[in-house]
Amino acid sequence: MSSPEAPRTRPAAPEEPDDTGDMGDAGGTGDLGDMGDTGDTAEGPAPSPTAAKPPPRKVSWQKLTFVPALLVAMLLATWLWFQQADLDAVSENALSGGQVSKALWQHVELTVISTFFVLVIAIPLGILLTRRAFRKATPVAMALANMGQAAPAIGLLALLVIWLGIGRKAALIGMIAYAVLPVLSNTIAGLKANDPTLLEAARGIGMSPMGVLTRVELPLAVPLILAGVRTALVLNVGTATLAVFGGGGGLGVLITAGITNQRMPVLVLGSVLTVALALLVDWLASLAEVLLRPRGLQT
Amino acid sequence: MNFWEYLGNRHQQLLTDALQHASAVFQCMVVATLLGVLIGVATYRSEWAGNFATLTTSGILTIPSLAMIGLLIPIVGLGVPPTVITLTLYGLLPIVRNAIVGLRGVDPTLVDAARGIGMSRPTQLLRVELPLAWPPILTGIRVSTQMLMGIAAIAAYASGPGLGNVIFRGLASLGSANALNQVLAGTLGIIVLALLFDAAYVLIGRLTIPRGIRVR
Repeated sequence: MSSPEAPRTRPAAPEEPDDTGDMGDAGGTGDLGDMGDTGDTAEGPAPSPTAAKPPPRKVSWQKLTFVPALLVAMLLATWLWFQQADLDAVSENALSGGQVSKALWQHVELTVISTFFVLVIAIPLGILLTRRAFRKATPVAMALANMGQAAPAIGLLALLVIWLGIGRKAALIGMIAYAVLPVLSNTIAGLKANDPTLLEAARGIGMSPMGVLTRVELPLAVPLILAGVRTALVLNVGTATLAVFGGGGGLGVLITAGITNQRMPVLVLGSVLTVALALLVDWLASLAEVLLRPRGLQT
Repeated sequence: MNFWEYLGNRHQQLLTDALQHASAVFQCMVVATLLGVLIGVATYRSEWAGNFATLTTSGILTIPSLAMIGLLIPIVGLGVPPTVITLTLYGLLPIVRNAIVGLRGVDPTLVDAARGIGMSRPTQLLRVELPLAWPPILTGIRVSTQMLMGIAAIAAYASGPGLGNVIFRGLASLGSANALNQVLAGTLGIIVLALLFDAAYVLIGRLTIPRGIRVR
């Protein structure tokens, strides 16, 4: 498994500062790959001149305005199109009575709740797995995480629906299970990539293991953990569209209603709203990534 | 009917679905690889174009696959076309990104040396740069394939081919005796396919990565 992963070092390295580069080879998993990509979406404009000089960590105005402008344009176009589209009874039925805002709200709720639980589960587990006592279990956990990632989200969700019955709980558990793995591997990779000499130094000045963890290791791993959070959010917005198959509601309701009833306005509205939400969440997470990074790491 | 009886009874249908799933993913991966490497080759020399290509493709990846399929249906209809377009688009990103990064990571002195011994620009690209950038590109292909396996399952909702149909059939008949068998068969089938593809890529890596740059 490890030999073909190794070249990953190179792809990951030039995009982001040092610690992330090391990360790529430590984790080297499929989802880490995805993570990196989503990571690019926002960081793209900033690190373009990286090669020559260190990237400015300030939020540039292009980054601040581009995505919102795109979203406004997209929503405006959809709205204008709806003004002149004639809706028949079936479409009216699917869209009236606040159903659209209800679906949108459910979608946001599903995303927020599942992301919260993903973080609560994955980050402590990642910390635990990198402690000395459990370090032997790390490769096993990573291999399991890799295997799990091969499972299709829809299959996982369907199995949970059969097991737990139809409803929101099954959908949420499916979403959480699906997003825990990337965040877990990011956390483990982030903690492992820390320079051992720094930890040695921290121990040398008499810090307790707890102090080393909270004052040195975790702050250093923040960029990677934040990247994991962003991955989880984006993944969850995506899997929340599948919640409809488990009776969990969300914008998937509009999409599936549009497909099964052959009503394009319903389908397009559901899809456009989902896309807008995904881009918005990714944009917010990218801002958070820049703003929450510890000062010392802002090269 | 337990799971093994179900498999025994329906193996013909399941094998057809699995074959269609694998062939859809494989064909889209071939297209995505060709396109991705072409985009990479076309853009890696310019800072701006390379970043633009990476940014656009990663923007596509942010879009949930069901929404992407939903946006494509009004344009191209149901069935195979939206499936193929979606799979190819999602497959592009890791390949484009790794191709650009891999090509940029090639030691410039090597390219210089190639020019020095009289290689033309296309020959430099084909004989020196692409072979050196091949390991990261292959990693990108592996990542893409794993992702496409899951997305292909979702595409079945838009009447696409493959094992996703088995899962959705199970979901549609919740409560019936066969629902669990169907969902389980579809899910496990996709996992097995993903692992088989992964093994194939390891083999391809052994055979195609030039001896001189193998890690071990």
